[in-house]
Amino acid sequence: MADAMNPPMTRERMRADLARALRMEAEEIGDDDNLDDLGLDSMRAMNLVMRWTEAGLQLDFGELAEKVTLGAWWAVAERAMAKRAHG
Amino acid sequence: MADGGGATVPDLPLTEAQEGLWYAQRLDPGNPVFNTGQYIEFRGPLDVQAFRAAVDGMVAEADSLALRIQEAPGGATQRLDPALRPWLEVVDLSAATAPLAEAREAMARDMARAMARPGDPARGGLAAERLYRLSRDHHLWYQRAHHLVLDGFGTELLVRRTAALYAARLTGSDPGQPLSPFAATVEEDAAYRASPRRAADAEYWRKAMADAPDVTGMAQGRALTARSSHRAHARIDAATGNALRRIAAAQDLAWPDLLTALLGAYCRRIGGEGEAVLGVTFMNRFGSAAARVPATLMNVLPLRIRMDEALPLHQSVEEVAVQLARLRRHGRYRGEQLRRDLGRVGAGRRLHGAIINIQPFHEIPEFPGLTAELHLLGTGPVDDITFDLRTDPGAATLRLDVEANPSLYSAEETAAHAVRAAHFVSAALTAGCLADVPTATPEEARRLIETVNETGHPVPDTTLTALIEAAVAAHPERTALVFEGQTLSYGALQARSVALAALLAARGIGAGDLVAVSLDRSPELVVALLGILRAGAAYLPLDPAHPADRLARILASARPRLALAQAVLPGGVEVLPPASWPRHGTAPAGPAPGDVAYAIYTSGSTGEPKGAVISHRAIVNRLLWMRDHYGFTAEDRILQKTPATFDVSVWEFFLPLITGASLVLASPGAHRDPSAIARLIRDQRITTAHFVPSMLSAFLAHPQVRGIELARVFCSGEELTPDLRDRFHATVRAELHNLYGPTEAAVDVSYWDASLGDDSRPIPIGRPVWNTRLYVLDEALRPVPPGVTGHLFIAGRQLAREYLGRPDLTAQAFIADPFRPGERMYRTGDLARFRPDGAILYLGRSDGQVKLRGFRIELGEIEAVIASSCLVRQVRVVAREDRPGDKRLVAYLVPAAEYEGPGLRAHVAARLPDYMVPSAFVALDALPVNTSGKLDRAALPAPGMQQRRGRPPESETERRLAQLFAEVLDLPEIGAEEDFFALGGHSLLAVDLMLRVQETFGRDPGLGALFERPTVARLAALIDAAALPPSDDGLRPLIRLAQGEETRAPLFVVHPAGGIAWCYGNLARALAPGRSVLGLQAPSLDAEVPPPASLDALAADYVDRILASAPPGPIHLAGWSVGGIIAHAMAVRLRELGHAVGALALLDAYPADAWRAEPEPDAAAIFRALLVIAGHDPAQHPDLPMHREAVIDFLRQGGTPLGRLPEAALDGVVRVVEGNNRLVRGHRHRRFGGTVTHFRAARDHAGRALSPAMWAPYAGRLEVVDVPALHGEMVGGRATGLIAPVLGALLDS
Repeated sequence: MADAMNPPMTRERMRADLARALRMEAEEIGDDDNLDDLGLDSMRAMNLVMRWTEAGLQLDFGELAEKVTLGAWWAVAERAMAKRAHG
Repeated sequence: MADGGGATVPDLPLTEAQEGLWYAQRLDPGNPVFNTGQYIEFRGPLDVQAFRAAVDGMVAEADSLALRIQEAPGGATQRLDPALRPWLEVVDLSAATAPLAEAREAMARDMARAMARPGDPARGGLAAERLYRLSRDHHLWYQRAHHLVLDGFGTELLVRRTAALYAARLTGSDPGQPLSPFAATVEEDAAYRASPRRAADAEYWRKAMADAPDVTGMAQGRALTARSSHRAHARIDAATGNALRRIAAAQDLAWPDLLTALLGAYCRRIGGEGEAVLGVTFMNRFGSAAARVPATLMNVLPLRIRMDEALPLHQSVEEVAVQLARLRRHGRYRGEQLRRDLGRVGAGRRLHGAIINIQPFHEIPEFPGLTAELHLLGTGPVDDITFDLRTDPGAATLRLDVEANPSLYSAEETAAHAVRAAHFVSAALTAGCLADVPTATPEEARRLIETVNETGHPVPDTTLTALIEAAVAAHPERTALVFEGQTLSYGALQARSVALAALLAARGIGAGDLVAVSLDRSPELVVALLGILRAGAAYLPLDPAHPADRLARILASARPRLALAQAVLPGGVEVLPPASWPRHGTAPAGPAPGDVAYAIYTSGSTGEPKGAVISHRAIVNRLLWMRDHYGFTAEDRILQKTPATFDVSVWEFFLPLITGASLVLASPGAHRDPSAIARLIRDQRITTAHFVPSMLSAFLAHPQVRGIELARVFCSGEELTPDLRDRFHATVRAELHNLYGPTEAAVDVSYWDASLGDDSRPIPIGRPVWNTRLYVLDEALRPVPPGVTGHLFIAGRQLAREYLGRPDLTAQAFIADPFRPGERMYRTGDLARFRPDGAILYLGRSDGQVKLRGFRIELGEIEAVIASSCLVRQVRVVAREDRPGDKRLVAYLVPAAEYEGPGLRAHVAARLPDYMVPSAFVALDALPVNTSGKLDRAALPAPGMQQRRGRPPESETERRLAQLFAEVLDLPEIGAEEDFFALGGHSLLAVDLMLRVQETFGRDPGLGALFERPTVARLAALIDAAALPPSDDGLRPLIRLAQGEETRAPLFVVHPAGGIAWCYGNLARALAPGRSVLGLQAPSLDAEVPPPASLDALAADYVDRILASAPPGPIHLAGWSVGGIIAHAMAVRLRELGHAVGALALLDAYPADAWRAEPEPDAAAIFRALLVIAGHDPAQHPDLPMHREAVIDFLRQGGTPLGRLPEAALDGVVRVVEGNNRLVRGHRHRRFGGTVTHFRAARDHAGRALSPAMWAPYAGRLEVVDVPALHGEMVGGRATGLIAPVLGALLDS
């Protein structure tokens, strides 16, 4: 189980996972790039979220779907991890 | 409680998603399935106060739950109405005796009540939130919402938000982001509608679906939105779930996509077509500002499944995965719009069949201290069948829920799909290749191969001749044969056939030899057959009427030793005419059970007829089964009328002779003469007769047939339809049996009892006879499950030995039985399907073979003959059925330079029997082909329909409208200026047409518009007009049926019992353009209008309406049935007011006194009347319960236009029919001083005391015009043709 010292997710791991799903290099994904434009469709996204959830990061797909940039997703992830730490 | 500020929000348009649902609900206003409902069962200590605060907090954010939707000019609009917010209602049932049951009942009641508000989401709140407290530790949270405001994902958002708010109250955790406002959805929808992306998406879909096949779905029938559904579920186990994830990951696929592909493969198997089109749900929220709005956004888009099953699994699903990725890229485009773009509207034209909906995040969020379990009460409309898959991250198992439309699937079938689909997915993941996966489960396979084929029955190993000789020995004096007044005893028949046998034996003919027989039906024919068999040889029947060319080919291949015939046959075979047969002789040794009894030639696809060779053992099994199964005795008298070349004749000849019964031969040629057959059946006291269904249909239509009685009638050779069965029982008293079998399996191999009481639709071919097995298999020779179409195979004792002289064809058709090592099975070339109960349905031929008038015809054989003429470059022969029951062969050809029609027909007629000569030869510039290069049958013109009148449709609107006209009228095409009604548009078909117009164009000109503008061109102009006049539903009290000259006095026609005057359409058009015709219709069709107090009050109201319209000249009135009574009362009233009355025409109407004398009709009579109004004969539907629900369901399912009237209007018709009965019975006629012209339905009312003279006391003068028609036909085209000129002259005088 993840804890504060060993978080289930980091911004760079998220970037790397996205890059693999999009068949791109991690550096090619900027924080504000629209992931939709980079070819991320809802199923690939869901697949990633399913994997992250299985790794212990509870994310609300609805929140992720609202704005699809790495920056926005990381903010959602941070909130989820903070909530988990408090809850 | 704070409100979301909804009060200040202005009216919003509906989103595209909402428009689609709005339409669907408007078309079927009372349909409950548009409501979705669920409840979550909590166990544990629920803090009710905190829960109330959480739900109400959610409700305050969820704007869509407070929407009010209303009809407005230019389309429906919606508005937030704070008063509608569904604050949580807490219902405490903890003191009740059975709290759970009461809560469930209350929820069911609430769902039902929400549905019962007829039709109108506009009226009240569209959502409810309720908590049932069953005990301190047991609560049910019930949520209901109309699909217009919430989809499945939206419901989950609400539950999650409530859970977050509840947890925050209890634990102080962060409640997170509020739900987004509803306006975001509307804004985004508007932006998308205006964006270039939408146009690009439209283009993508148009291309993607351009060559998609018509959707047939997995079940037979029309996929209309049903009012309920069957549900079943199955579990996909952890091993399968893990394999799914592992294999998907290895292929870099998302597992839901792999699962979609596998379920797609399953649906394609079940559908049995090369391609299946599925619907996949698309949440439509990714990358959207509306992602967190609880609203209805979900979209269903088509996915084409056309995989190569032989490839390794990952390759065969690859194309589906690629398609899914593209679908998501263009997934905003609404499925409803796509359906309109593709012209797939109207019954039977769909965008997709089964729907697959995968929800990988299904977990209920955590409510602290509680366990929560979800129960679904309804998830929205199911047109066909839906496969819902739910699981959660981390969970290996999946739950498969199947929901199916009950008009297409039974509960049993629905349950079977759940189990089978789960099994299929599991097997596919193990097999590594789809082709290796059977469709049926192992349990199904066992049942379909073994259980249903347990037909073993002891049958003596003997011969036909031995059985006949036993009958001869038992009663030599009995009558064996009757023909045109002569009879022959068993003894005499035996003596003559033995003498012939002796002659044949003397010429060295015996076992293994073939003797041709070409004789007209006569005692000599029977003697010939028996003589040949008695000599140990086999008979080869030839029809003397067949062309010499065909006879020559058969004789050349069969090479009989001799022919018993009247005349010389082609090819030089020696002929022994009956005159040369001896009268005395000694019996030679007879045949052995394994010897051949007969060889019968059937049509062959190679262009060459082929002869099926049947042994004594095979035919003995068939005859003894029949004798035993139907209980034949020596008292039976069996009619023989089938030509000997058709194998039905085999039992007609020999069943009586092995039973000691009498064989009654029809005269040659009489088999096509219904009156001769009817006479023969009556005069000869026939107990058993056989008919090919098309002949039975002609037979039943003959007046002399009514009331005939016999023990039993057998049908075979063609499909026996339920309508024909029902007509049979309405006309003849006898058992009716449907038999099936090819010549290659000794006449018949299956049977079905279609006697009175059978209500199967369609009628099965039934179950196998003794010692016979029937298999329905796929291409890989694996059994297919019930409900799935496969190839029919026959195995067992009755199989033919071979095709004469054709070991190649024999090897192709008779193959090893994979289920019984060492035995053979015969590939029938027929398609069939098991019903769930194990009875088999026949579904036609799998190749180019058709059955016509009982003859099996290879279209290829006809094409080969036509091609051999060298008069054509290309030819295809098609069996068309442009009118039900009227099947005929049409040859479509591309002519060669030297083509001439009569020459080609002569060429064909010289080489083929008459039943194989096409009834029409249609020359085309090219044969139409579809994108896959196959003949496009739909594009072939019906013969004689190639001439279109007037200019063709031109604009896009005209073309689409013309297509709708054509569909509704069932015509191949329509000119722009042709009149809908003149083309046979039954006026109620107008309802159907206008619903399609609404679906296609999204605009509703109303029915009234069609009456005034009945052509494509004129209606198209109205649709294209910038502003549509207010919709006219055609139900107003005064409607215009025809526009005439302004200055001439119009004719007013008064509605009959149903209150609607559309039935006068024919009459109106016959009197136009000279004279206007206006229809009076019952104002109380509108529920808001109270019913009239009396018939006189109604008449006075109609008079007021007429006078208000200020017509020129005297008032002309006409009325049919009840309408006549009202018209008469109106005439009295008009005179009373001092107005001139012109003509008063009563169409077969009789005074109220006649009805008072009849017993008061019960409710059932009202519904029978409703059926009659809809064009059905109630006598044809004896099993239909005569109450409102059943009758309305029947009308809706039957696809009759009356059944498609909006709910409110149909209610109105029921009310008016009831009301009119009351009015008529209470009416006292006054005298009308003028002339009453009575058009009497002269062919009706036999035996009833109804006479126009009954009007004499109430009329100054009475004139009677006889119309040769039934009462119900008085406003039909033919009667109107007779009435209109007389009435027209009356109006002019």
